[in-house]
Amino acid sequence: MNYQLLLQLAVQGVLLGGVYGLIAVGLSLIFGVMGVINFAHGPMMVLGMYIAYGILVLLGLDPYVSLLLVAAALFLLGYLVQATVVNRILDFPEAMQVLPLVATGLIIENAVLLGFGPDPRSPRTALGLATLHLGPVMIDVSRLMAFGLAVIITGVVFLFLKYSDIGKSIRAAADNRVGALLVGIRVDRVNNFSFGVGAATTGAAGALLLPLMATSPHLGHDFTMTAFVVVILGGLGSLPGALVGGLILGVAESVSTIMVPATMKQVVSFALLVAIMLFRPQGLFGGRA
Amino acid sequence: MEKKPGLGLDLDRRSFLQVTAAAGAATAISGFPRVLRAAAPTIKIGSVQPVTGPLAVIGLGQRRAAQMAVEYINSRGGIKSMGGAKLELLLGDSQTSAEVGRSEADRLIKEGAKVIVGAFESGTGMAIATLCEQRGVPFLCDVATLDDITQKGYKYTFRIFPTSTTFAKRMIEFLRSIFEEKKVSPKRAVVSYVGDAFGKTQAAFFIKEFKASNLGMEIVEEISYPLGVPDLSAEVAKIKAAKPDVLFPICRPGDSTLLTRELFKQRVELMGIISPGSPGWYEPSVIKDLDKLIYYVMDNVPWVNPESPVYKEANELFLKNYNAYLETNNGYAYTGILVVADALERAKSTDPDKIVEAFKKTEFKDHPMVGEAIKFAPNGDNINATTAMIQILPDPDPLKRTKVVLPKKFAQAPFVFPAPQLWERG
Repeated sequence: MNYQLLLQLAVQGVLLGGVYGLIAVGLSLIFGVMGVINFAHGPMMVLGMYIAYGILVLLGLDPYVSLLLVAAALFLLGYLVQATVVNRILDFPEAMQVLPLVATGLIIENAVLLGFGPDPRSPRTALGLATLHLGPVMIDVSRLMAFGLAVIITGVVFLFLKYSDIGKSIRAAADNRVGALLVGIRVDRVNNFSFGVGAATTGAAGALLLPLMATSPHLGHDFTMTAFVVVILGGLGSLPGALVGGLILGVAESVSTIMVPATMKQVVSFALLVAIMLFRPQGLFGGRA
Repeated sequence: MEKKPGLGLDLDRRSFLQVTAAAGAATAISGFPRVLRAAAPTIKIGSVQPVTGPLAVIGLGQRRAAQMAVEYINSRGGIKSMGGAKLELLLGDSQTSAEVGRSEADRLIKEGAKVIVGAFESGTGMAIATLCEQRGVPFLCDVATLDDITQKGYKYTFRIFPTSTTFAKRMIEFLRSIFEEKKVSPKRAVVSYVGDAFGKTQAAFFIKEFKASNLGMEIVEEISYPLGVPDLSAEVAKIKAAKPDVLFPICRPGDSTLLTRELFKQRVELMGIISPGSPGWYEPSVIKDLDKLIYYVMDNVPWVNPESPVYKEANELFLKNYNAYLETNNGYAYTGILVVADALERAKSTDPDKIVEAFKKTEFKDHPMVGEAIKFAPNGDNINATTAMIQILPDPDPLKRTKVVLPKKFAQAPFVFPAPQLWERG
């Protein structure tokens, strides 16, 4: 066994896992509050990547700066999607909730295709090629930044939900919708806001990924699937669960490269999914959301 | 609402609609315009390319080139032997999936396509070849390398692009002349490839030829990853651990960028990067994004012949319209339409069997690519399909960085090998 390679892979896995976690946080939040699964999640993340790309090309602002603008734009989009689409379908059977969100995803995906064309975009960013070399281990600075910011953003969202008034209303609406309505919480607005926050974290994750990978309009679906696996791994509706799930998946995918070809990576993630479903269906941090 | 001064005909919108509708109905019944159309009928050609999905950047370029070729033929009087019949391109999108590609080809046949061109992706090429054999419609495969496509004894399938075998054989020849000329003897090689039908076959044939050759090199690691992979850091860590002298990557646009940046970040020492033949290295968007990092990469690809007048004319138009140049894939898509037009001219008919007969007698030399006249072997492969070695060399204009370096006959510049390390380029 080549320990140097193993160490390198583990480090890379942890760092990418942080971003997986951030992508999944949005999905988990939206599911936790509304009980709908956001099938437009991956395309929303890709949209975030493209907005960051547009800002970089037009204004020369690096994704670490434009992150806030991207999050704000995605917050608006999420708010609108909830207000116009999702609020109408909350009481529908689950199977019927799937279609409008898949459709939203397709609309976003094709709008991006229309606006930016099909070419994979991989712009040069300030820290895009920067690396730290700690002995034998190489640490990619943009990956480290993505990891750090992902953990910080997840932490902020967690604290916001725990201590702010809006956060408390969100948790109340998630816990008991009828009860929240009875005590005078405007549940539909709370929902809009939650979807907005979920979309914003996803957009931020997109901006963080821009220096790391080439973006193309069709990248989204794989990330929707990744986010599902992470959320189920960590426990539906649990934010720390999403982060830990992301880390586990990142490391598993990275380290497994030693044993299996990368074409089999998805087998690793879905095997993990099956294992968790068999032995701990509520997820690692599951229980009540 | 105020009436605008018109042509002196006092028509309001409603009566205008009534008149035109009546006229439309009348012509539909009498068939009058059809007689007119018979003077210059149109011949429909179905084009199926991966216009969306991970290969969209290539598919779109091919579609545009094919459309340009159709306009070129039509502007020169169409198919003269059929009364100046104009060509019409019916557009299909395989979405980078063999099943979708097959159903799109089927749709275009139902809409009246007399010939199908396209594929790009080998899996789709195979599916369309089988479909066209069932439907009795000629299929001109413009790009797709999988040998099998022309090995099934299909009588309606023809291919102008080189096979994986041709790619592999040429690659070994080029490697030999590079190593001999520069008096170097690299020992360790890593092959990395994208795990779709194209990547797998391209890698398998290359590895087979490589092992049979006595280049004195050993393949120490083979690494594959899925199409559209978002991250290659783990794979590159593995490449680094294998300590290769030369990397032989088989890519698609997107993964080539990821791969090269990771090689830079992880400081993988290499004498050079030489692709046995794959996209991902010559697309203008990739060259711009990677800038200095893509310098000195070599790629063994069927390339445009810089001296060909057909190439010069088409390339100029392509640059003007799409700010991209003619290369392997769009170049062959362009050529495909020219070959079909040539066959139709000689077939004097849209009867599938007559078109097939005409294809068999093809000897088409006015094409924009490197290689002799296009001629089909009994199995449908172009016996003169070949490749050139290109290298990305420094030039202030990104659109002029791609140069033919081998064979010497077509070379635009001398090649550089071994290349400076990725991080030693200022």
